[in-house]
Formats: sequence, C-alpha cells, structure tokens
Amino acid sequence: MNVLVKKMLRTIWNTRGQFLAVTAVVTVGITVYMSMTTSYFNLNASKDRFYRENNFADYYFHVVRAPQQVVKQVESLPGVAVATGRIQKDMPVVKEGDQRATARITSYAVPMEGEVNRIQLMSGRFFENNPQGGGVEVLTDLKFASANGLSFGDLVYIVADGRKAPLTLVGTGTSPEFTIAMKDAATLMPDPRTFGLIMMSHQQAQQIMNLPGQINQVIIKVAPGFNEELVASGVKHILEPYGNLASYPRSKQLSHAVLQGELDGLKASSRFMPVIFLGIAAAIQMVMLGRMIKGKRLEIGVLKALGYSSRSIILHYTGYSVATSLMGCIMGTILGAGLTSAISGMYAEIFNLPQAIGSINYQAVLYGSALSLGVGASTGLIASRGVVKINPADSMRPNPPKKGGRIFLERWEWIWKRLDSTWKMSLRTAFRNRGRFTLVLLGVTFSVGMLVMSLFSNDTIDYMIKKQFFENQGYDYLVRFSAPLKEHELLNISRIEGVLRAEPIFEIPVRVHYNGKSQEDSLQGLNVTTTLKKITDKNGRPLQLPEEGVLISERTAAKLGAREGDPVEVETLLGTGPSRRAALKIAGVNQQLVGGGSFVSIDQANGILQERSLVSGVMLKVDPGTFHVVEKKLDDMTAISSVLSRQKELANFDKNLEAMIYSILIMVMFAMVMGFAIVYNSSVISFSERKRELASLRVLGFTNREVSGLLMKENMLQSLLGVALGLPLGRLMTQGYISAVSTDLFTMPLVIYPQTYFLSTAGGLLFIWVAHLVAVRGVKKLDLVDVLKNRD
Amino acid sequence: MAENILMKLDGATRTYTMGDVKVEALRETSLDIYSGEILVILGPSGSGKSTLLNIMGGMDLPSGGHVFLEREDLSAAGEERLTRYRRNEVGFVFQFYNLMPDLTARENVELASGLVENPLPAAGVLKEMGLEDRMDHFPSQLSGGEQQRVSIARAAAKNPRLLLCDEPTGALDYQTGKLILGLLARINRDRGSTVVIVTHNTGIGSMAHRIVRMRSGSIVEIIQNKTPVSPERIDW
Repeated sequence: MNVLVKKMLRTIWNTRGQFLAVTAVVTVGITVYMSMTTSYFNLNASKDRFYRENNFADYYFHVVRAPQQVVKQVESLPGVAVATGRIQKDMPVVKEGDQRATARITSYAVPMEGEVNRIQLMSGRFFENNPQGGGVEVLTDLKFASANGLSFGDLVYIVADGRKAPLTLVGTGTSPEFTIAMKDAATLMPDPRTFGLIMMSHQQAQQIMNLPGQINQVIIKVAPGFNEELVASGVKHILEPYGNLASYPRSKQLSHAVLQGELDGLKASSRFMPVIFLGIAAAIQMVMLGRMIKGKRLEIGVLKALGYSSRSIILHYTGYSVATSLMGCIMGTILGAGLTSAISGMYAEIFNLPQAIGSINYQAVLYGSALSLGVGASTGLIASRGVVKINPADSMRPNPPKKGGRIFLERWEWIWKRLDSTWKMSLRTAFRNRGRFTLVLLGVTFSVGMLVMSLFSNDTIDYMIKKQFFENQGYDYLVRFSAPLKEHELLNISRIEGVLRAEPIFEIPVRVHYNGKSQEDSLQGLNVTTTLKKITDKNGRPLQLPEEGVLISERTAAKLGAREGDPVEVETLLGTGPSRRAALKIAGVNQQLVGGGSFVSIDQANGILQERSLVSGVMLKVDPGTFHVVEKKLDDMTAISSVLSRQKELANFDKNLEAMIYSILIMVMFAMVMGFAIVYNSSVISFSERKRELASLRVLGFTNREVSGLLMKENMLQSLLGVALGLPLGRLMTQGYISAVSTDLFTMPLVIYPQTYFLSTAGGLLFIWVAHLVAVRGVKKLDLVDVLKNRD
Repeated sequence: MAENILMKLDGATRTYTMGDVKVEALRETSLDIYSGEILVILGPSGSGKSTLLNIMGGMDLPSGGHVFLEREDLSAAGEERLTRYRRNEVGFVFQFYNLMPDLTARENVELASGLVENPLPAAGVLKEMGLEDRMDHFPSQLSGGEQQRVSIARAAAKNPRLLLCDEPTGALDYQTGKLILGLLARINRDRGSTVVIVTHNTGIGSMAHRIVRMRSGSIVEIIQNKTPVSPERIDW
C-alpha cells in the first residue's frame, strides 16, 4: 500500500472520535436523503402507475339524478376523452350487534372496459351482474374487510330505502379515488371500522337504491391540450337540468389531495433536510481539516522537503474528508434502505395502493453517493488549499505568535473589569476563532431548531384534539338520520337514560355564491343557545350564533373574497326536493381546525328550505357511566344513518399516532447526533490546539476540573447563543414545513407549546454537555512535562 | 578529490519579514560546493547557516543573486522544478528528526524512497543504520538517536547527490552524536554523496574536507582541511 495512504489511515485511526462524529452526520444526511427520496420516488411512481392504469378521473360532477344516456352526450363534447356515469352514495351499514358504519357505495359497469376510475382487484374475484343463486355481489376495500373481520362469502347489510339489504362479499379492490378511505375532509384520520368502500355493478346499485336507469355522478378524463375548466363548464351546462350538486377537479378529490400532500411534504423534506446535514458535515470538515493542516505545518513542510508536491499533499488531506463521506455514504445507504422500508410499510398501512412500494431506487443511491462524495471532495480541496502556501523552510521555524489584540467586549470596561481571568481567556478565544465560533453557533442553532420542528407535531395534534374534541365539541355523540325528521321526534332520543343534553342540528350541503364566484360548503343549523358546539373566530375567540345571518367558514370566505357584512347567496344541494336559493348576510367568519362548515340558526336553516322544525341529526351529551347503554339503544334505532362517538374517534386517533411517534424519535435522534458531532469536534480541536496553554495552567496549579471548566465556558458561550437562536429558528422551520404539507383541504395550525421549547433546550444542553465531557477526557492525561518540553 | 562543482551560489541573499521586522538572514554570499565533499558550515545561531542550507536544498529561494545546480539556475525555477529537485537530488536530515509520528520507522523511510526511481531498499538502509530490530517501531517508541538514524536512513534511501544536515547532533548526547556523524561520513565515503552539515559545534569541523565559517549572514572564512579525521576520533 502506498505509504501516504497508510499514513492517512493511521491519521483516521488517531482521530477516530472526530472521524466518526463527522461520519455520523454524513450518515444521517444520506440516510434522510436516501429514505425520503426513495420513498418519494416509490410512492410517486406507484401513484402514477396506479392512476394511469386505472384511468383516474380529471373532473367530478355530482348531480341529483340523471338518465344514463346523458353520459354519451357528455362524451361527445370536444375535450372530453372519456366519460363514465355511475352511482355513488353513502349508505348506512348495519354490522353485527347492530353497530353502525357508513359505506360509500360506487357502481361499475360489468364487465369494465375503458371506464374512468376503474377498480383494481386486490383479492377474490369481481362481482357479477346476475350471480347464480341471486343476491348482490360486492367488493370492499381491504382495510374495511379486515377491520370488520369479513371474509369472502360473508354478508354485509346496508340500509337502503328503509330496508336492510344483504350484500355478498366476493373480493377486495381499490381504485385511484380510494387510495385513502376517508368520508370527508372533516375526518382527521381514516377509521376502517366505521367507514368503508363498497363496489358493485350498476344494475344492482340502481335496483337497491331505486334509481332505475339513473346515475348521480359523471366523471371524465380531459383530452390532452384542452383547458380543464372550459371543458368542465361545458359538462356542467349539459348537466344543469339534473341538479348540479358539486363539481371539482382532481386536485380537490379527497384521497388524491391527501396523497399529494404527503408527497409534497416528502419532497420538501427530501430536499431540505439532507442539505442541512451535509452542509453541517462539510462545515465541520472544513474547520477540522483547516485546523489539522495548521497543526501539521511542520509535517507538511517535511513532506515538501522530501519532494512531495503540493498537489499530492492536498490529495492526501482531501482523502480524509472523502473517507468520511464514503463511510457515511455506505452506512447512510444501508440505514436509508432500512428506513425506506419502514416508511414504505407505513404508507402501505395508510394508502390503498396495489403495487409494492418498497424497492431500492438506484438513481437515489447514485445521487446520494455523488452528493456526499462531491461534498467530501470539494470540502477537502477547499480546506487543504492552505497547503500550497506552506513553505518548507518557513515551516521549520516556529510559528510567529498569534496576532493578539483586544476584542470588542473589552471596550465596555465596566463589564470587562468584573470578569475573572478565566472568563477573559474564554471570551478572547471564542471571539478570535470566528470561523469555529460561527460553525458551532450555526450547528447548535440548527440542531435545536430541528428538535423544535420534530417535537412540534405532537403539540399541534394535541392542540387539535383538545380543540376539536373537547373545546369546540361539547357533545359525546353526533347522531345523523337517514332523512330529516321533525324536531319533536328527538324526544325518543333525549329521553334515553343517561342522555344529559340533546341539541338538534340541521346540516345542508350548499353552494355559496358571492360576486360571481361560488364555493361548496356545508351549512349547519344549530340552536342559537347551543352549548354543545362552540364556534370561534380565527383568533380562537367565541362567536355568538345570530338569529339571522351566517357565520361563514374562513375557507369559503377566503375563496369568495367575502368579508363580514357582505351579502352572500346560498343554493341548497340536498339532492332531494327542489333546490332553494336564499340571501344571507355574513355575520362573522368562523375558523375550524378540521373540516369546514358555516353556521346559521336552525330556524334560518329551515327557512332556507321553506320548512319548519326539521332536523337532520342530534348532538348528545351523555353521562360517562352510561356510554355503553346509550350506544346500544342508538344502535337499535332505525332511521339513524351514523353515530359519531368522541371516544371511538379518539381511540382511532391514538392508534394512528404510533407511527408518528417513531418518526419523531428518529428525527430527535438525528438532531442530537448532529449537535453532538459539532460540539464534540469543535471541543476536540480547541483542546488539542491549546494543550500547551492548558498544561501551563495545570502547572500553575489549576485543577483538572478548573481546566475543563475553562473549556466548558467557551463552549457554553457559543452553545447557549445557539440554543437561544435555535428556538425561533425551529418555529420558522416548522412554519415552512407546515406550508409545504398544507393542501387545499388541510392546514395544520402552528402550535408549539412552551414544553417543546423547554425540551428542545434541554436536548440541546444535553448534547452540548455530553460532547464536552467526551471531548475533554484528555485533560486528565495531559503530560505536563512532555507538553512543556521546549522544542526550539 | 576531483573538483567538480555540484552547486554554485552567486551573490545569494535572503531577507525575511517577521511581523513588522525585516531580517537579513543571508547577505550577499558566493560559495561553490564540490561533488563528493563533506562541507561543514559553522556559526552561532542567527549567523544564516540554516538559511544557506535551505537555499541549497531548494526549500527556499534567495531574495537576490543566483543558485546554480551544475548549469541550471535554480533561483529561476518554479515550484514544480524545485519539488522535482528536492525529490530526486536532495536528502534532508533535521535537528529534530521530523519523522511522521503516524508511520513506523520502515514506513518513514519508504515515504521517501517511494518518491525516486532507483531507491535503496528501506530495510537495507535501516540495517546499515543498525536499526534492524526497530524497523516496525513508531517514532514515539524510539530514542532520539534512533529517530535520527531513521531520519538519516530516510534521507539516504533516496540515494541523493546532496545530503543536507541541519544540526544533526544538536538534540543528541555526545556518544550518539558521534555515531550519527560516523554514519554520515560513511554515506559520503561509500556512495559519494556530497554531505553538507550545518552546526555550531566547531569540533565537527575536523571531519570535513572544507569548513565554512559564518557570522551575521555572511561567510567570514573558508578553510581547506587537508587531513579530515574520522568522526570516531573527533572530540568536542
């Protein structure tokens, strides 16, 4: 082996602590890059392929009901590549023990051909139009089947037209619009026990829902080169006579929006995070190598005297940083593959995607390697460029004494005079080594910022839960009826033993018009004296529900550009009975964390429909001891389509949070590794640089503890400043993260509890302290005689 | 002794700036170095002898005047040529040995021998220096005399035309110092390398063919020594 290579390996061995610290940071950077990029590639590719193979729709149109033939008419429009008509409707499911769930029933042609939003079979077989022995064959999504313990041949009962209809399960399937099964945007997390997808043939669906020859949805693919919105308005025009309920592009389709939000977040993180880690690794190496080269001035001089060229010496030192990159790259690729399969496993849990999504992406490996080796090589070259300037003859002479001088703090005499000499030393050293000072400051700032960013999601979710389930929602159950009832019929429910309070609610899907723009929304009629639902403005202040006027949702107001005091028009989209229009004045703007909804008094809601005392559901506050009894009673009642239970929603939430805890832990670990590596390296460097000075202090009579205390003081100066700056930076980073993952349908509030700042500070102090302890172990071993031996 | 001129200094000067102070380390100096001789440069510290040595070794360039290697003007050469010169023609022995602490004795020698086309075998040279048992030791495991012998082996392994030694015995005790000088004389005798020794120890002068006395950056005297004695017999 080349002797210089041997020498480099020995140098690596002798500085193994520092070497490993830098390697660890590179490893983390590459791990993050590899896992996030690969997960992104895989998930995106899997999504694209799934969408393509199953003809994912570009635009959705919901109508009350329309004859099937209208699809031909839509398809003949220029710009419409394919159009598919179907029935899609949410129906109550009655499970074993009379428990309720909701199924989104969707109808398909048998056999399927070039339709939009085709089914991809996951297991079992397709349903038939007229199965032998009669009955109705259906597919469900895999998660609904497994959460409810359904196997092929089992019967699922739905309530249609007031009757229980049995459906036979023959397989499981998915479709591009079902990658995540959530009822609506107000659902926080999918809950397969209470919501599922059921797929059946057109014919059977029309029969069960009593819609012979009818459809209630048209979905289209837009031909390339056509303006989507123009095509959509043409379709809307055709569908006008059939009661346009809603129309929206793919970007507002719920499962797509969730999936896309996840992809966007991944993409943003995969760009942003590795840059921080590799940047920090590069900065550490820069300082480390720069320092190494200064320390080895004589050695470099000798190598030059022996006849080595500057170039070969530079390559020698560059080899050191390339070695850290190489090692970090290898370990990062391995760990990254592991993390990728964990992330992919998580996605497989969440999303109904047919293909395996956990393969290694060689492009990512290639880019990751190029990235880390490139950073290593350029860092090495830049850091060791000082080699050129070393003159062999000069290097044999002692270094001229370091430039002394006062630091700016000394101008403030009243402070300076009060400091003892160890503080003066620490301060002077800290301010003279500006490069290193900046590095540690930056590194600690970023590490602490990352700690804040890792921990915040816990706060935000806790806040959302508290807000959603405990503050804004005073009820334990929200019961929805299959069809609106008269208010006095609620007595049956409010008289159930254990029900403490029952308040009516009337939910009407509407389209809000203002100034030529329109936006779909849900109008919720409540008692003006309601105590079970709290409505707040964007600052969290409670809003009083007026007798007249609407507390419009913040999202709708923003979309329409409408403000308090503006008049809007609402158009009902109930799907039964005539569509009504009514003018309302905006009495206030409400903001809800999850979902939307605009609020009116229940009397006004009835007025819009020209009805009296109708309700569509009831909110219940129940004595906690009687939850079970009340649930049983509700399950026995017909005419109820769904029962939302706070308890069950919370339990479902907790289950979904487990995956999040792991990712938080991993991020916290990464942040701590980075912080540790920086502080450790800087401490080692400053320790080795000042061995002689520190040994002199020992000779003067300083104890080991006092000497390491001196180093600690220097460390603390930069680190505490870093911690202090890291907290606001963390808030900014979190803000950036939130805006990266926010979609049209979801936003997360930026909530960071003081406890998170406290924990991040504690985490920061911990890694600083540990790194310091490890770095100054050498104080005890200082050989006073050897260090002070005069060489000159 | 055939008086072939290997190197010629022609009015060479060297000025340093140390901080704000200008130091004239070498005043106008002319000197011929003959092929195959042992030249001892004597002088107190600060007399410019190390500066002279550095210029001879291509480690430093004169501020004024010329340095010729045979016919070639080294003072006009670029960094690359100087590196090639040091690599192929010169061997250095330093007062404080300057071995690479991360490399063993053998590897330190190989570090130099690997640079030239026809080096002497590292193990052989080390053996010549009496270090056959210490080859795989690191510098920190060697005594000062042993380290200096490794350093000589490192210089000798390149089989250089010019062996430049800066206070080679300065850090060593009397006995070890004499041993080291003996080794240098042997390299001069056996291989015909020109050996230049810089020292403030006047006793060493008696082993030289010629002695150059320096003071305050100038040569004050050049003495021909008709009867050089072997280092074992010199005394100081």
